[in-house]
Amino acid sequence: MNIALPEMLHNNTTSNGGNGSSVLERQRARMKWHQEQVQQQEMSYFNGQNDQLMSSFHQTSEAQQFHGLINVNDQSLNELVTRAIKPDPCMENNWGDFGTTDTNGFGYVPVGVGHGGMSHPTEMNYAISRTTSCPPTMADNAVSAVKPEETTLRSNRGSENFKKRKADRNQHLKEVAEEETKDKKLKECIEEGDDSSKVTTEKKSNKRSANNSSNSKENSDTSKEKSKITDDKKLDYIHVRARRGQATDSHSLAERVRREKISERMRFLQDLVPGCNKIIGKAGMLDEIINYVQSLQRQVEFLSMKLAAVNPRLDIDVDNFFNKDIFATSTSTFSTVGAGTSSEMLSMAQRQFNSLQQIMSSSGLEMDILNLNEMALRRTTSAPVPIPEMFLDSSSINQVQSFQTWDTDLDNMYAMELQQGRSAQFFPHPCTGMHK
Amino acid sequence: MRNPNSLKQEFFKKWIKGLQICSATKKKMSIMERKRAIKLSADIAMASTRKSTIYWSHALMKNASKDDTNKIIIKNILGSNDDNNYNFNKASMGIYNSMSQNGIIRSKKIIKKSCKISRRARKIISPNIIAKKMMKKRTKVLKSLVPGGEYMDDASLIKETLDYIISLRVQVDVMRHLANNASYEINDPKTNL
Repeated sequence: MNIALPEMLHNNTTSNGGNGSSVLERQRARMKWHQEQVQQQEMSYFNGQNDQLMSSFHQTSEAQQFHGLINVNDQSLNELVTRAIKPDPCMENNWGDFGTTDTNGFGYVPVGVGHGGMSHPTEMNYAISRTTSCPPTMADNAVSAVKPEETTLRSNRGSENFKKRKADRNQHLKEVAEEETKDKKLKECIEEGDDSSKVTTEKKSNKRSANNSSNSKENSDTSKEKSKITDDKKLDYIHVRARRGQATDSHSLAERVRREKISERMRFLQDLVPGCNKIIGKAGMLDEIINYVQSLQRQVEFLSMKLAAVNPRLDIDVDNFFNKDIFATSTSTFSTVGAGTSSEMLSMAQRQFNSLQQIMSSSGLEMDILNLNEMALRRTTSAPVPIPEMFLDSSSINQVQSFQTWDTDLDNMYAMELQQGRSAQFFPHPCTGMHK
Repeated sequence: MRNPNSLKQEFFKKWIKGLQICSATKKKMSIMERKRAIKLSADIAMASTRKSTIYWSHALMKNASKDDTNKIIIKNILGSNDDNNYNFNKASMGIYNSMSQNGIIRSKKIIKKSCKISRRARKIISPNIIAKKMMKKRTKVLKSLVPGGEYMDDASLIKETLDYIISLRVQVDVMRHLANNASYEINDPKTNL
């Protein structure tokens, strides 16, 4: 389910772009989406980006032109959905239990995805105003209310429609598996071959999950694009997918989540640590990482020793260095431009080509590229600088890219960490309980 | 996130500041003292360039601030950026420590004990257990390498290691550059003569 929404959005963008996906496909995506909405009773209110909403709305209007008949169904379905949700504000508010952190998470996300597919803008506005005025809640009454209506609706549908749905459901169920809360509340949709039994199990799991916590729902529909916004919630819930034949009890799921997290980070480390790409197996990789960290630490030791030996007094004259740099580099291939940190870095980069292979292959190159940028910048401002050809090899560019991807991920992790620190006041051991 | 170059510059500035403070506090030092001062200031500068949510930097600063003379340096380096940051560091460190020392370590010990008992009872050595042992040994080593690693679980340990490696690289780069420059400075007069 988590995947379905972005998929749809992706579909959307491509269709808007005017190439590729047919109307049928779009329609299919919509059907899938609605199905999720109604059957699984999981609404995400975290469509923080207005443009997404607009695009989905745009899609709806587009689809209206082509498929009036199906749209009638959809509209009625939508109305059902909204009717079911409308009593929400009067329903019992479960959010009090979760305190400020949760409401913080939602406060700035006013748009409900559940209403994204609606065809009337006025209704949409209504939805927006409603979701902002009060925190979204998912009550059990609403769940039970929609289910029979949905089933009748489904029976009314045409056979070809149903076929489509069937295919969609098969596809959909492969993607959907379980979501898991960190406090070990679990929700499972177990794959089964039979279609009808599938529906029943889904419903069962829905009921269970609805009773379980209103909490577990909000995370279920968060799209990938929203992951940054909803980092807050990620602390409490993690998505787990169980493939066929995998264990689905809470402990093994938690363990699997942990292992996946570790292996993902290991992959980043693999990119980071030179010579780690060829090693298979965690133990070997850890060995390599340990060696690398140790070597770096030893280098720091050695360099500080060297500096201490070189400088009889501790005052390292920075200006003197820069002047020296200019003289040193002017004799070489570089025609340096002015004094300052950039020239200093340039000379550093230049020298690093002669220095240790290890450092050069990893961080030295990435710095070189950055220096290149800086050089280009400099060139525009003051004097022409010849850009050395050797900087422009592809391997260094790859290096930079990998670094950047890691950076973004680390940023996410930072955000998570921050939230964790905040929520630590409420839950004393938010994540360690799972690991230990 | 900031690019590594700006990270380097920030680190360099902080380091130089720390070195100046070091040299101001103590006029005459032996080579070992100097080395220690250089390393300390570099470490603190490196830790202070990281975001405050990273534990290893906190641990590093905490270890460094055990010494009173070092405290002054740390305060001076950190005071230059902002005091709030340091306060936050302190507060979060306190929470973290109380959490980890009371909760995690005790539970770890209990788990270890129970594991030992069960293992003795089984007395079956499978390759799985051997692999686990290997991993355990290595993670132990890694925990000893990363500052503050004793209090981390596996997942966060690897994350911290990632961050630590990046920072170490920056540190090594800048230091090597400086060292090269310094040696240049010494060698230059000779070559000129």
